Amino acid sequence: MSYLLTTLTTKQEVDSIIRSTIDKVLVLRFGRASDSVCLLLDDVLAKSARDVSKFATVALVDIDSDDVQVYVKYFDITLIPSTIFFFNAHHMKMDSGTADHSKWVGAFRAKQDFVDVVEAIFRGAMKGKLIVSCPLPPERIPKYQLYYKDV
Amino acid sequence: MQKVEDALEKGSDMSNHGLVLEDDPEYQLIVDCNALSVDIENELVIIHNFIRDKYRPKFPELESLVHHPIDYARVVQKIGNEMDVTLVDLEGLLPSAVIMVVSVTASTTSGKPLPEDVLEKIVDACDRALALDSAKKKVLDFVESRMGFIAPNLSAIVGSTVAAKLMGTAGGLAALAKMPACNVQLLGAKRKNLAGFSTATSQYRIGYVEQTEIFQSTPPALKMRAGRLLAAKSTLAARVDSTRGDPSGNTGKAFREEIRKKIEKWQEPPPAKQPKPLPVPDSEPKKKRGGRRLRKMKERYAITDMRKLANRMQFGIPEESSLGDGLGEGYGMLGQAGSGKLRVSMGQSKLAAKVAKKFKEKNYGSTGGATSGLTSSLAFTPVQGIELSNPQAHAHQLGSGTQSTYFSETGTFSKIKRI
Repeated sequence: MSYLLTTLTTKQEVDSIIRSTIDKVLVLRFGRASDSVCLLLDDVLAKSARDVSKFATVALVDIDSDDVQVYVKYFDITLIPSTIFFFNAHHMKMDSGTADHSKWVGAFRAKQDFVDVVEAIFRGAMKGKLIVSCPLPPERIPKYQLYYKDV
Repeated sequence: MQKVEDALEKGSDMSNHGLVLEDDPEYQLIVDCNALSVDIENELVIIHNFIRDKYRPKFPELESLVHHPIDYARVVQKIGNEMDVTLVDLEGLLPSAVIMVVSVTASTTSGKPLPEDVLEKIVDACDRALALDSAKKKVLDFVESRMGFIAPNLSAIVGSTVAAKLMGTAGGLAALAKMPACNVQLLGAKRKNLAGFSTATSQYRIGYVEQTEIFQSTPPALKMRAGRLLAAKSTLAARVDSTRGDPSGNTGKAFREEIRKKIEKWQEPPPAKQPKPLPVPDSEPKKKRGGRRLRKMKERYAITDMRKLANRMQFGIPEESSLGDGLGEGYGMLGQAGSGKLRVSMGQSKLAAKVAKKFKEKNYGSTGGATSGLTSSLAFTPVQGIELSNPQAHAHQLGSGTQSTYFSETGTFSKIKRI
């Protein structure tokens, strides 16, 4: 868990932060402090938070708290960690060659990957798009399997 | 000169009294002492010239090896009429390197021994010079001891010895105050040593200021700046003193503090660099450059006239194509009847001109100078570029559809691809 990034526990906090970041990409990480992949992701986020600060805000959401279960259900978060991007209160989707475009599942390999992704989202959002394609090559994208009703 | 020396002795006796700051007779004496030291210097120069001229028949090279008049006088005194300089012990008079050079030059000198009377005159002159030198020293010592009363601010910054020397060389406090700071910096600077030593380590043109305590204690990298700073502040202090503006010397002390603080600040490490956050993407518009160079670059990739014609089509007239019958690349207006040419020559495209030049150079280089005068340069040019075409012949060609273009006499290929 990093001490530089704000952690959100209540629904109200999440609401307010989504509404208050204007003209900046909002990166919300849904995860647990005890998970190792989550820690990796947190590390990358913390290190690049300052570099990206001019066009993005980074925040962490703890999925173990009861208040935010609404969001967990809404975004259908099953795999930890999941990162969701917002821009001006719009949910931004990204096509990274995986099944789920609405979130980013897993950690980033390097700081630069994260910065590239945020930049792509920013550029797309400034142009008015709601979905952007991922600038990373497929080997740098974490792969996962989605189960549908345990199949 | 004798009279002032006596007054000087009296003055140094009087110095033990606790005198009030503004002591006019004392001050006048100091001013006289300064004038006296300047006079002594002038006298010394005259005597030095005299000795030099007289000694030249004996040892001409010595004057260029030993510059300082007092050292010269001492050396002349020691050598006397001696022909073999190695017998003379010059230790303590000169640095050992110079002694070596002197003895070497003496062995090859073109001088002759002097007659007795000339030698006597020279010895007398040397004695006079040395006496004058010691008198000057005494005067300077006296001035130094009284420096606290004469120029308290100046001596607060640079110390009394250096202040006395500066005043002595300048010719009085008023003269020192009138000098610009750059001159004050160079007061007392030794002339460059030309004895064949390398000038790579020659010192940085700084005079008596070098002997001040502040200068000695600065690290070598900052010595130049410190020297300049010292000279500037001491000039200001001298000006204050010459008008007796601050008899207590506080201004001088303030300057000294300022100098010390500045030197400390120079030695501070630079502030650590903070990594900057990345700029917002697309916030800074790209700088588009213009100018002749860019235009020439763009010309290489610009659309050529040929391509322009091929892109357009005439209304109602089907265009020709490379594979015939509408297959393959269309030719548009290129080679249409009425234009008179099947192949539009490129004219002088800028890129082709460059390529032609390169080709020409290469081929001329390879054939050397053994070409006969009858060969023409047209044979070496590449495919497009210079073409001499008979416009009538082409017009006929288009009209007669029976003429085969496969083995044509006039035209060559109908479709040219750039390699």
